Parts: sequence; structure tokens; C-alpha cells
Amino acid sequence: PVLPQGWAADRDFKPIGHLSDANDRNIEPVGPHFLAHARRKRHKRTFSEDDRI
Amino acid sequence: MSAEHDPAQRVAIGISFGNSYSSIAFTTAEGKAEVIANEDGERQIPSILSYVEGEELHGGQAKSQLVRNAKNTVAYFRDFLGQEFKSIDPTPCHQSAHPVQHESTIAFKIRDTAEDKENEVTVSEITTRHLKRLRSSASNYLGKDVNAAVITVPTNFSNAQKEALNKAAKEAGIEVLQFISEPVAAVLAYDARPEAKMADKIIVVADLGGARSDVAVIASRGGIYTVLATVHDYEVTGLKLDQVLMDHFAKEFLKKHKSAGDPRENDRALAKLRLECEAVKKALSIGTSANFSVESLVGGIDFTATINRTRYDLLGNKLFAAFVRLVTHAVEKAELDPLDISEVIIAGGNANTPKVASALGAAFPESTTILAPSTSATAINPSELSVRGAAIQASLVQEFELEDIEQSTHPMVTVTPHLSHAVGVLCISGEESSGIFHPIIDAETPLPVRRIAIIATPKEGGDVLIKLAEGSRHIKVTKPEPKPKKKSEDDEDDSDEDESDEEEELREKTWKVGKVLSEAAIKGIKKGGKVEVQINIAADLGVNAIFREVGGKGGVRGIIQPPKATQNGSA
Repeated sequence: PVLPQGWAADRDFKPIGHLSDANDRNIEPVGPHFLAHARRKRHKRTFSEDDRI
Repeated sequence: MSAEHDPAQRVAIGISFGNSYSSIAFTTAEGKAEVIANEDGERQIPSILSYVEGEELHGGQAKSQLVRNAKNTVAYFRDFLGQEFKSIDPTPCHQSAHPVQHESTIAFKIRDTAEDKENEVTVSEITTRHLKRLRSSASNYLGKDVNAAVITVPTNFSNAQKEALNKAAKEAGIEVLQFISEPVAAVLAYDARPEAKMADKIIVVADLGGARSDVAVIASRGGIYTVLATVHDYEVTGLKLDQVLMDHFAKEFLKKHKSAGDPRENDRALAKLRLECEAVKKALSIGTSANFSVESLVGGIDFTATINRTRYDLLGNKLFAAFVRLVTHAVEKAELDPLDISEVIIAGGNANTPKVASALGAAFPESTTILAPSTSATAINPSELSVRGAAIQASLVQEFELEDIEQSTHPMVTVTPHLSHAVGVLCISGEESSGIFHPIIDAETPLPVRRIAIIATPKEGGDVLIKLAEGSRHIKVTKPEPKPKKKSEDDEDDSDEDESDEEEELREKTWKVGKVLSEAAIKGIKKGGKVEVQINIAADLGVNAIFREVGGKGGVRGIIQPPKATQNGSA
């Protein structure tokens, strides 16, 4: 959408709501992407930290 | 992750262990899964053991013993593992050795030694012998002693069953690295191909097996799989398809030879009929007609006949329709619509039947890809899907310590939150209220997640407002008569033309905007400029968003706080 007149926010970003609650589900421990996910989770890394390695 | 982790050199394969057939596969140095044939050249090895004068026969050789030596032949035993006698359905074993109660488990009374006496052999012992044979076939082929495996199991296999299988495998000298579920293995087999593209999609795996059918609805998000719903059925099966052919040929036989008995009423004739009908069914998957011929079927009469595929499709119609119902039921159980399904993978031996694929194809919209040999040139042999997946998984985990695998599978898996709604941005539209929702992260995506998308901006450029919002998918049903075009929100009406002449109602996916999460302004965008949106959502539901004009500098970034604080740093 086009920016309405008179819209302003701190550093041009205005948080409004939060995400709705998530559903807890099982992911399948299978495949290379899961193993990458497991690695990140065990080492408590974020995506960008993981990318650098 | 190097091989030094490994204390005793592991040679791992994938094993798919089914009630009717089992198969074995390994992964080559180039990372390609190859299915191993046993000494008889079988890639689909019947899960059957038979004993003749103390000699053990396995696979196809044992299967042919169902005619003359049915009592000492054990078949369809996988689902009995780790079960109580009361809870099993022994129907498929009617033609072979019958299961009997043995303490807390199940056994078969067979003459498995040269001596003339019957022994009670437990189902786990039978499984061990079966796995030993599979292992030795793989070892012979690879020239190395196979000592570890990833084994596929159905999604409803209980822990007791897995434990029993694990024990039986250990007895057979196989270290089970991991049990993975059959449908997920099938998805992995497809995703591991070099030409496969990782995408967010919902996949249905429809496995039409011999003694059971299983359907699973799986969300694939960036190569991570979540099972959304499963359906199991023991009535709609390949054995029932065989039965349809058996009845057909038995009737034909009776028409020609009125005085001879019904071949279905004589055990040996029935066994011959059964074996031949399965062969006919397989032939009909490849050719459009097949020959049926059995020597001395009943009363010393040879019987030959032919059948064409059309006839078979008609005979099996009820079962095919029932299978389609099973699949659509699974989709409903996942609270989805056929329009949400991007792929249907047909697995199991009976998936080779072209009619199964075409019947399923009719139940899904054209946008859904049906992956079966008869509908897709790139489809993998449906019988080999799960074993290939297992072999790939085996190659991925074989360097890990067993403890490592256990640790990273359990606690990891259960505690992953999945987005309940899709998250996306509102794109081009003059009015604030009717912006088009453009999903960036789909619902049911496990967290944390990071996605980047490029969105278009108003043509004239200038300042734009980017709204981040939640959206939910709705199915819009339009009646064909008035041919309406209500709002500007139908962006996928390309299929209108073909469907307008049919009496069907038109269904399409639309998005309804839910909660707005944030607004961000990007000023002074060039004409026709595009905006890159990067969204990071942490496991605690905190959102970190970056908006930047493509080719521009800086950009706007913002953090939406979760119910608690987020610490997801992004560089």
C-alpha cells in the first residue's frame, strides 16, 4: 500500500500485534535439513551464526 | 563430522521391512541410493520364509512353497512383532503357517529342522532370520559386512513394536541406527534427488500395500517434515485386488469346466490361483493385457485365459474408489482441502497400477502433481521409495554415535512450535483495507524460521507502507452459472476457461487477512522498484523483520516482541 499522509513511527517501524500462539508438533527426524536444525538447536545457534560456519 | 567418530567401522544400509515385501538399499559414494537385488535377482524380496527338510528358503523361493508346503511357510508376520495374540488379525496368514499364542508373544508351528517334529518359532525369531538373510544379501553385494541399518516402519508402529524389531535386528547382527516412518522416507527419496527443489509444500503419501494401506499428510517446510495426519486401513489392500482377479478367473474356470470343483475351495488350487493372480496384476501394470495360466489348477485341468487392463480396472473399481476416499479422508483429517496439496506421492507395490494414479489424479485439482510412474516421467519406482529414503538417511547418520542420534531425535523433535497462521505482507493495492495478502511463511512451518521474499511495489514508486500480517487460507466456492467476478482478489483464475463448460462449482484458494503485526515505511522507492522482505521468527514467536529496496541501501528493520523477550540477533 501507499504510505498514508502523516504516518510516522520510530525509525519507520511500528509494531502492532503479536503472532498468534503456535501449535506444538512433532517434526520428523529425517533428512539433511532436520540434521542441520538439530545441530543449530543443540548448539543454540541462530541461522546467521550457522551460515558463517 | 568425520568417520573417526565411529569406533567400529560401520557399513549401513536402508531396509524397508514390509508384511508382503522387503527391500534393501545402500547409498553410493556419489550420494545416490541404489536398491540391492538378492541372489535371485529380486529387488522386492517377499517377506516369506519356508522350510523344506531343514533347509531355509527365503524370498521368492519361499513364496513358491506356498503351494506345496504352505504349513511350513511363514508370511505376513511384520505386523505381529511386539503384539499380543489377542490384538492381531491373522487373516493374511490363512494360506500359510498360522500364528499361535506363545507366552506373551506370537509364534508359528513349523517344521524348520530335518527332524520330523514341529517347533514353535516366535515371530521375533522369524524376523531375525528374515533380517539375517537380507543382511547377507546386502553383504554379498557390497563385499563388506553390513552391520547397521535404518529401518522404515509405519507411522502407527508402537514403541513396543519398535523395541521388538530392534531386538530382532540386533540378534541378526544389525545395529538399528534409527527407525524412520515409511511416508517420510518416501518424501526424502524424492527430495534427495539432485533435480529436486526445496519448497514449502504439503505432500500426501498414499501407500497402497499388500496387507494394509497407509496415507499420510506431510508438511514439508524447507526440507523439514511434519506429519499432519495419518490414516491406516486394513481393508483396502493389494491382497483385495488379487482377490478380485481370483474371483474373476475362478468364475471363468467354472464356466468352461462345469464338472471340476471351484479352485477357491481347494487349498492348493487357491494358492496357485493367488500366486498367478498377483503376477497377472503386475503384468497389467506394465502391459494392457496379460495372460493367466496355471497348470493343473484343479482336477488336473490346465487353465489359461487372458484379461485386458480395462476389464481389470472395472473389476477393481470399488477398491480404487475406496482408496481415493481414504486419501481424501486423510486430507480432511489434516483440516486441509485438496487445493492445499501440492504433491501426491503414490507408494507401495500397487501404486504401479495406472488406474490408482488416474483415480487419485481426478480427486485433486490440476495444480497437484501426482507422482506415479504412469503420470510422471520422473517418478521413482513406488516400491522402492521407502527403502531409498532409508538408505539416504542411513548415509546421513552412519557417522554419528548412536547416543548422538538418540539425543538429537527425541527431545528435539517434540518441542518444535509450528506457526498456526501464515505470515506475509500486504502488497499493492490502493486502499488499506483490500491489500492482497502475499504469504511469505506458510502455516505449519516449524520455528525458528527465516524466509526472504521479493515483493513488487506500486508502479509509480514513491513511499510505500509495508504491512506484516497473519493470513488464513479460505476456499472460495463460486457457482458456475452467474460467472461472477466479485473483487479484484482472484489472482489465479487461469483455469476458468476449461471449467466453465462443466457443471462443477469453481473452488479456489483465497487469503483472508488476520492480525496485522507491524507497519513499516520505505520512502522514495524508484519506479518499478522491488522490496526485499526478510522475516525471522524465533521459537518464542519473536519476529525480526528487515525491509529493503532491492539494490538500495539501509532499509528498515524492526522487532516484534514475543509474549516474552526475543534474542534473535541478525547480522
